[in-house]
Amino acid sequence: MTGMSKKKAMLTTAAALLTLTTVLAGCGGGNSGNSSSPSSTSSSSSASGSTETPSNGEAPATPVSDIFELGSEPLNLKFYAHYDWFSMAPWGQDISSKWIKDNKKVNIEYIPSGNNAQQKLNTMLAGKDLPDLIWFNRGAAEFEMMRKNDMLAPIDDYIDKYPNMKKWVPEELRNMLRSEDGKLYQFPNWYTNKPVGNAGWIINKKIYKELGSPKLETTEDLYSYAKLVKEKYPGVTPIESDLAIDGQLLDVLYSAFEENALNRWVGDRARPKDGVMTSIFNDPTYRESMKFAAQLYREKLMTQDAFSQTRDQVKEKILNGEVAVYASINATEFAREGQALLSAQDPEAGYEMIWPIAKPGLDRNKIFPGTYTYLGWNIITITKSTPDPEKAFAFLDWFTGPEAQSVLMWGPPGEFWDEFKDVDGVPTPVFNENYVKKQKELVDLQAITTWYTWNGNAVFTDKTKGDYESTLPEQDRNWETSQQYNIAWRTQGEATEFVNLEPAKDSDEGIKQTAVEDIWDKSRAEALMNTKSDADVDRILDKAHEDAMKVGYQDVLDFKTKKWHENRKAMGRE
Amino acid sequence: MTQLTIQTKKNSSAGAGIVIRIIRQWQMQLMVLPALALIFVFNYLPMYGVLTAFKDYNLIKGFNASPWVGFKHFEAFFESPDFLKVMRNTLVISGLKFFIGFPAPIVLALMLNEVRHRFFKRFVQSVSYLPYFISWVIVAGFISSMLSIDNGSVNILLQKLKLIDEPLSFLSMPQYFWTILITANIWKDIGFNSIVFLAAIAGIDQTMYEAAEVDGASKFKQMFLITLPSIMPVVIIFMILAIGNLLNAGFEDILLLAKNPILWNVSDVLDTYVFRIGIENLRYSFATAIGLFRAVISVALLVFANLIARRYGSSLW
Repeated sequence: MTGMSKKKAMLTTAAALLTLTTVLAGCGGGNSGNSSSPSSTSSSSSASGSTETPSNGEAPATPVSDIFELGSEPLNLKFYAHYDWFSMAPWGQDISSKWIKDNKKVNIEYIPSGNNAQQKLNTMLAGKDLPDLIWFNRGAAEFEMMRKNDMLAPIDDYIDKYPNMKKWVPEELRNMLRSEDGKLYQFPNWYTNKPVGNAGWIINKKIYKELGSPKLETTEDLYSYAKLVKEKYPGVTPIESDLAIDGQLLDVLYSAFEENALNRWVGDRARPKDGVMTSIFNDPTYRESMKFAAQLYREKLMTQDAFSQTRDQVKEKILNGEVAVYASINATEFAREGQALLSAQDPEAGYEMIWPIAKPGLDRNKIFPGTYTYLGWNIITITKSTPDPEKAFAFLDWFTGPEAQSVLMWGPPGEFWDEFKDVDGVPTPVFNENYVKKQKELVDLQAITTWYTWNGNAVFTDKTKGDYESTLPEQDRNWETSQQYNIAWRTQGEATEFVNLEPAKDSDEGIKQTAVEDIWDKSRAEALMNTKSDADVDRILDKAHEDAMKVGYQDVLDFKTKKWHENRKAMGRE
Repeated sequence: MTQLTIQTKKNSSAGAGIVIRIIRQWQMQLMVLPALALIFVFNYLPMYGVLTAFKDYNLIKGFNASPWVGFKHFEAFFESPDFLKVMRNTLVISGLKFFIGFPAPIVLALMLNEVRHRFFKRFVQSVSYLPYFISWVIVAGFISSMLSIDNGSVNILLQKLKLIDEPLSFLSMPQYFWTILITANIWKDIGFNSIVFLAAIAGIDQTMYEAAEVDGASKFKQMFLITLPSIMPVVIIFMILAIGNLLNAGFEDILLLAKNPILWNVSDVLDTYVFRIGIENLRYSFATAIGLFRAVISVALLVFANLIARRYGSSLW
């Protein structure tokens, strides 16, 4: 009933499962041990689930020159995504995955997280019953734990044998993904070579126009515009913060106060300065942005429920057009829906993105409200439980190539494109008229296949899509795409060297980081909501800095400095 | 209840005779066996899990291979700067829940008992216990939108009544958090918790009321001199259980209502602390240590409460 007893129940179930599975594993070994030695080396558990693996006993016996050709024999892979929210459609029911199943003989068996990813993975770990592929956040604590315990398969040996990873994921990126032991265990998802992201400022077109479209370029303009909105539109939130606990407006604001500043630093709670990471609490830019935000808050120019509202409440306000300015790390998500709803009633209404706001005197072309990394979003890894890691890799390598990416993004040949033509050595789909005519069908298909994009190749798909859409007339492009092309993708800062700065959660630095995190969250809320002057903000941040140092912040910063330089070395930047 | 205790005491004092007695009642003992086995397997066997608190538990290495570390995790907790704050919040919140939340359903039961109109009584009963079945996620959603600044109904009401000029951000103000939390809890649980007291009241011998009426006792007198004393044994037993639960200040309700970090100074209780610092960060041993600490105190409180109750003749054991 209560949390504690639940947790106890969880622990005990885990313990019970652990003992149970050991017993079961023992039985399984006895049953299958016809002639092969019942050693615990290769995965006896998952072998039973996969199809025809005759020579499983002598795993690495295949000749090195022999590459595995996808489609030459059926390949069955168990896939698990380590996310609560993840729930993909069954493989083979839509036209794209059916094509892959029919033509490449790949079947994906999906293991659901049941809305409780951590518990699910823990159970699988404790029971040593792992899927073949796991999709993680980059730097996930569980990933590191599994690697250290020899549960993941390194893929270095296969890269040169197969075409796509070698071609599309540059050496520097692969180096960055390497683990401490020098081996590569992960395949990045949505890796890219140019800016992506949807962070930035959105305005309500109708309100803006009715107020005479005043200049909206600097933080001062923003302040006076918000005051005007508050006066003229009492029911409207002048500046919507989204969920302040996640940063959002506050992080976007940070970028307005310094040229080339990356709000990734705020997320990392570490400000790089002269080659070392320093306290974010003492970062002048952070302080200046928090003072400005606190002033907006005090004068009721921004969301007053910034820390207590829910995502649904934010969405409701935006969809009702009750927001004049909105800043967020993913600003187009709700604004896209709001735009569709509002413009349906009144073509003048809706939302649009504006060029980033900056402190007066700063160059607005050097302001980056969001960041992106060449590594993209998350990663997929192959576990040692898979009967033959090379086969799994061969699939992933094909999966990130132009053929698979085209099938996932635009359906199998004959749907929205007909054939490949060669563009600079890359097979590129030739789109047909369905691409524009059947936009809804395409969007519906992508809504399904997006769940299958585990090592998405944004280098290929963004270029293909961009090249093609640039040939289309303006009205045939969708709202989000044009916001992205015109502003968002031109104003995101590159932050690849700042990835993976997080210490493992159960390490010494990780425990200290958790303590700092607590202080951070409280100090940010207090600086925003409990202050009457700039001096109050300084006082709260001074105290937060002191408290953080007491719980070991310096060690965390040192750790991050070290990691940061490792990244820079891997990328050849130093 | 008391009779039962006395009887078992007599039995155990019989000493060696007990074995013979058990053998004689073997059919009955056989019937008890499945229940005992159930309790043993699911309640006692897993208890070795508390040893996790004295180890550096590693999920992959497993329980046996994780190293012993003694009281390290307990020390880490007691020395943590948050320890005092978390303990204070736990005691204050559960204290408020006990002193206000425990009598509330009794009062409701007494009031409902006086309602003459049967249909109305049933109706109120049903309406008041329905919220118990709504999950905290939804209740927290209601509360947060009712108390919000933009279109929050409470703020609109207070403004229309001219009680406040500007809307207040209730869920960002530490001074209101305990009130909001306790109110929400009472609203949610009062109806359901009153059922058992209503049942106890229904069991009171009606002739006592008739006699009291003949003697000229008013309705209030009847309530205080007949109803309340008659249900006292039930009240005391539930009170002992509630005291044993004193360190159990709640979890989901707090986690969902206190999203604003500004509230953590007043909202952080043992369970939410364990969740945020322990479970979310894979520090299972640390989490277990705090859980064990809490369990030990809870058992002590329970025994203590029972000891006192026994003096007044209606204890649990």
